[in-house]
Parts: sequence; structure tokens; C-alpha cells
Amino acid sequence: METTWIRTNKLFFKINPSLKFVMISSLFLVYLFVHNLNTMIWASLFFLILYSSVTGLSGKWSFGFVLFTLVVSLFSASAMILFGKGSHVLYHQYLIMITQESLARGILLGLRTFTFSLVGMLFATTTLPVPFFYSLMQQLKVPVRFAYGCLAAFRMIPMMAEELTHIRQAMIVRGMTKQKGIKAYYARLNHYLLTMLAQSIRRAQRTAIAMEAKRFSMKESRTFYYQIGWSRNDLVFVLIIVCTVAMSFLCANSFPLTPFTNVLDH
Amino acid sequence: MCLNNQKQWGVTNLRLAFPKQDKMLFKDLNFRYEKGEKILMLGPSGCGKSTLLQVLSGLIPSSITYPMRAENQSIPKSCGFIFQDPDTQFCMPYIDEEIAFVLENRKIQRDEMPRLIQYYLDQVGLQLQNTHQLIRKLSGGMKQRLAIASILALEPEVLFLDEPTALLDPEGTEKLWQTVRQIGKERTLVIVEHKIDHVLDFIDRVVLFNEKGEIFADGPKKETLERFQDKLDEYGIWHPGIWATYEKQQTSVQLVSEKPILILDHFKVMRQKKIKFQTERMTIYRGDWVAVIGENGAGKSTLIEGIMQLLKTKGKINWSFTHSEAHTQFVFQNPEYQFVTDSVRDELGFSLKLNKINDEEIKRRVDEALSRFALIDQQHQHPFQLSIGQKRRLSVASALISHPDVLILDEPTFGQDARNTFALLDLFQQLRQNGTTLIMVTHEMEIVRRFATRIITIKDGRVIENDATSGMRVKSSGDHLDQNEQIIF
Repeated sequence: METTWIRTNKLFFKINPSLKFVMISSLFLVYLFVHNLNTMIWASLFFLILYSSVTGLSGKWSFGFVLFTLVVSLFSASAMILFGKGSHVLYHQYLIMITQESLARGILLGLRTFTFSLVGMLFATTTLPVPFFYSLMQQLKVPVRFAYGCLAAFRMIPMMAEELTHIRQAMIVRGMTKQKGIKAYYARLNHYLLTMLAQSIRRAQRTAIAMEAKRFSMKESRTFYYQIGWSRNDLVFVLIIVCTVAMSFLCANSFPLTPFTNVLDH
Repeated sequence: MCLNNQKQWGVTNLRLAFPKQDKMLFKDLNFRYEKGEKILMLGPSGCGKSTLLQVLSGLIPSSITYPMRAENQSIPKSCGFIFQDPDTQFCMPYIDEEIAFVLENRKIQRDEMPRLIQYYLDQVGLQLQNTHQLIRKLSGGMKQRLAIASILALEPEVLFLDEPTALLDPEGTEKLWQTVRQIGKERTLVIVEHKIDHVLDFIDRVVLFNEKGEIFADGPKKETLERFQDKLDEYGIWHPGIWATYEKQQTSVQLVSEKPILILDHFKVMRQKKIKFQTERMTIYRGDWVAVIGENGAGKSTLIEGIMQLLKTKGKINWSFTHSEAHTQFVFQNPEYQFVTDSVRDELGFSLKLNKINDEEIKRRVDEALSRFALIDQQHQHPFQLSIGQKRRLSVASALISHPDVLILDEPTFGQDARNTFALLDLFQQLRQNGTTLIMVTHEMEIVRRFATRIITIKDGRVIENDATSGMRVKSSGDHLDQNEQIIF
């Protein structure tokens, strides 16, 4: 993640990354077992509100992302909606059959996709890689080699992006882009992958040697430049998440918008 | 294995081979050095200098496992290694974090770190307002100096430098050696380098290698270099007097015709929606050898990439041909990106095949190019397996095979040794005599002074000078082309 297009002064940046990681992962588990359509509707709404208020992305990017997730969610919902089973048929033509039950299941599935991506982005857009991996090493005792390996890998991403531009330009110059047909497309794809792979492997090897030359040891203990600790913000974060989840369940009970309290029944 | 008497290190009877190769790189090689020495290692490319450096520093066999054996390998207790590539020496995104990484490895207490980071950055002359800056936004020269700073954080007795300036421009090179000179005062230095202009001032011992990986001369700087001056030329080492040995210069100006081949009119080139180069009007004439010069990031590459339509442009590009793509060819700075096939042979034939030229003609032209560019033995190899010089030759050859009228090159001599450079210059010279127009971005002022018929100087995305030169033009025979017009590499 880049500091250039992310605002890092938001509250969620100040939370212990390990705590954030654990909380967010448990959210996935919680909503995996929700079969109440009402809960899912309220949850998506609350997480949408939460996401838009805490994200580190600028408004334009944020909106673009939400739109994109909505489209993806629609796709994942459509398969269930159009070909599901059920007794109350709403529409039937050829292969397509929409029933009340399948509609409910489909929407639940779509909303689940939507919530999952929101929750994921909530984490991704408010966490910088360096503090995250330092925290993993300090709080969750992740082995040093994994953490620094991942950090080194992060450094490669912008290099690879630059490389992609070079390869594309070279293909234009060599006339590769003028070829048409599936075979040419395959050749181009192959070329992208092969070149990037070859360069990445070489780069990774060099970086590894350079790290060892700097006496990086995978076993010995080490001191840390950043000490990731705890603060009152962490408590606030836990409260916010618990409240959001609790509200989704409470609202589903008090204001059920649909009759489908368990989409697996019927 | 370690015999540390603090004052002297080295290897005795070293035997080493690269994996999957029958021939040994070193056979019973001996090399010893003492504390405080400043040593320069020279030799032809592929002779094993860099490998020896890795053995001396202990990277082989601890980090790189090559089959090797030595009667005695004594490694300094603390040493630092600077590599060639500025981009792959770092594992953290920010400057301060990178130096902190080394301090963490040394188990320095956390509250000591900020002061030390500042201290090491000062040592290499990186004056920064804020040390928390992205490494990838730095120039190549600054990256290399940061690499030195992070190595200094190891507090090494001995510094090994493996061609640290190979990928730097002249300015970065000079600054880097100034830094090394500063920090090397109380340290032992072992340097492998091809461009020795700035190194010579502060070293005192020179070690010369031959192609077989043997040390054939080892002694004080002055005597050794004087005695083996001819070897330096032969190995293509950039030494201060080398341009004098290359007595070739532009032969005549008359070849530049009055006919414009390219007119740029209110031309603007964009990178990420920002204007990075603009000019009201620029004319290039048929037969010109245009040198585009300027500092890093001034917009030189942007200009030529704009001309090739690789970037978004505004304004008019008027070529004197109707189908400009058929008449222009582009050579990238890094040849590897432009290789699109699996063998040298296919690579040469690629653009011909695209243009539906018949197989016989393709075979004829490819064979001709293979022999002209001395690539016959490599014709079935993958382009990535070639040496740096061979890669460059292949990239130029595959651009020339369709007989373009205009050849545009982005720093074609960058990272090449002197021999390859001179051979390329001979080739360009010959092309120009046959009427090809050359547009070339370069940092090498000797090339500009000797060959360019037009010098375009760019600063901050604008042309600040555009002069047709008359220069000194002396005709002499080409040393690097033999009677069959093959290039001697």
C-alpha cells in the first residue's frame, strides 16, 4: 500500500494490526454461518457505513471499489437466483427458473460476498505492510523469515508493475500486438508470464543473498525498530466491530424486512 | 576453516566450478590480502572476479552453494558486500527501515537506532530532510549510496564492491566513488570494476585475471597498470586513456541531407496524464546522428518513446514516410524486455515473419545477421542465456534486420564494456554512411563529441539546446570491422 494515495491518519490505522487481523478473520467465520436473510441485509448496510467512514482510500477510489464489489456480488448471486430449486415459482422459461426460495438464497449469497469484500477491504485499506508484519512477529510470534520474506516481496510489486509497462512497450515495438487470433493471444500471455517469472526469480534470489550478506539470521533473536503495542484505540475498535455485528443481529430480529429467517428451510 | 589472525585473509588452493559445468572456474587459485589494503580486480567478463569476491566474503558457500574446495578460506570477521543492481539489495520499502533492518540484525537497542540511521546516512552524504522516504523514488546513484550506508551499519572491517557503478550514469558513478573513497580511509577495500577512471586515485594494489580465471599479475597500481596497459584495452576495461586508443571519429557532415525526415509540431508527451516533454517544433534530417542528452529524469526517454508512440502524445509527428512503422526501429535500454522468442535465430527472424517475407529470404537475412553480429555459435540458445554484450548485439541485430531508415536507441552502450561499445559505434557509423538516421539517448559525452551531427539537450521536459555540430572529423580506418565488414568482438 502506498502512502501517496492512502490517508494514514485515520483511527483504524492506529489499531494493533494483529488484533485487527484476528477480529476481521473471525468476522468471516461469523457471517459464514448466518442463514438469516434479514441479518445479512442489515449487516451489509452497517458494514457499508462503517467501511465508508473508516477507509483510508480517497472517496473516488472507495466508490469505485464498492461499485466493483456490487457487480461481483450480483454475479455470484445470479447463478443461485436463476437456477435454484423451490416450490413458489416466480418465473419459468427454458432453463431459467426463479423461485421465491432461490431468490432469497441468491440474495443472501450475494450479500455475503459483498460483506466479505467490504470487511476484507476494511482491513487492507487501513493496514500498512511494515507495521503489520512487525506486529505479526511481535504479537503472534510469526517466524522472522516469513515476515521479512513477505516484506521483501512487497517491494517487488512496484518493480513488477514497471516491468509490465516495459514488456508491453517492447511487444508494440516488435509488432507482437499486431498479430491476431487466439494463438497470438496465447503467445503474448506466455511472453508476459515467462519474462516476469524469469525476472522475478532472479530478483528474489539476488535479494535473498543481499539480505544474508547483511547478516540476516533466520534463527537468532533480534531487536525491532518498531515496537507495536496496545492503546485505547484497540478497545474502541473492538467495541465498534462488536456493536456493528450486534446491531445486525438485533435489527434483523426487531425489523425483519423479509420473511426468510432461514434460507436453507422451505 | 577459519584462520583469523585479524590482519590477513584470503584463500589457498581454491577450486570451484559452476553447477552443471564440466570445466572448473578456478583451479588451485591463491589470493591473500591484508588489513588496510585497497585492491582493484580487473579482467575480461566471465573470468570469475565476482565469484572470487563472493568466496572471499564467505557468501560462497554459505549463501550461494557452488561446489568448491579450498585448503584454507579465511573470511574477515565483519565484512560488507555491495552488489551491482541497485534495486535488489533492499528488503524494506523505506530508507530508515532498511538501515534499521541491519541494526536489528546486529541486535542494537531500539532507542539507539534513529541516531545511528542518521549517522550512517551522513557518512555516505545522503542529506535528507526526512529519512522515512520510499527507496524506489531515489535515483540509481542514491540507491547505491544507501546500499553502502546500510552496509556501513554492519561496521565492517572489509568492504567488497562488485561493480557497484555498472548500472549508474556518469554523475552517479562519480559521487559513488567519492563516497567510497571517504568511507574507505580506515577500511580494507576489495573492488571489482570495469570503469576505473574514478577508482584509480585511491587504490594501491591491482590484480589482473585472464580468461581462464587465473591471476597473472598482482602488484602495486602504477607498475602493474603500465606494464599491462594493452591487456586493459584487450579486456575492454574503461580506463582513462581508452578513448585515445579509439581514434575513430565522424567522417563527414555532408551526409546529412536537407530533407527533413521527421518534424515534430507542438509535440507533447504524457506519462500518467502529466506532460513530461514538450516542444514547439523539432526537425530531424535524413542522415542525422542525433544525440539526446540531459540529466536523469529530464525527459530523454520520454521524447523517444513519444516519437515511437509508446506513450500518449499530443500534437503532430510528421514522418517523411507514409507507413512510419515499417521504416523505424527501436532498441530498448534493457534488451531482455524486447526478446519475444525462445532462440536467437527465431528472434532475428521474428519481425520478418510478421511482414510475410518468404522463408528463403528470412533464412538468408538471418544467416547474414548471425555472422555479422558474431552470434552464430549462440543461434540456438535462449536470448536470456546470452552475455550482456551478446544480448545488446542481438537486440540491435533484430532491429536492423528489417533494414530500417531510422534507428532509435535508448542508451545502447549502457553497461557495455569498451570493446563492445567501440564495435557498436563502428556499426552505427557504417549504418549512417549508408543513409540510416540515428536518434540515440546517451550519457557518454565522448560519443556525443565524436559522432553526433545534432545534439539535443533536454532539461525539465523541454529542449534547451538543439545544435547541428560540425565537430572534429578525422577519417581513419575501422579497427573493429574486418575486411568482410564483420564486427570483431
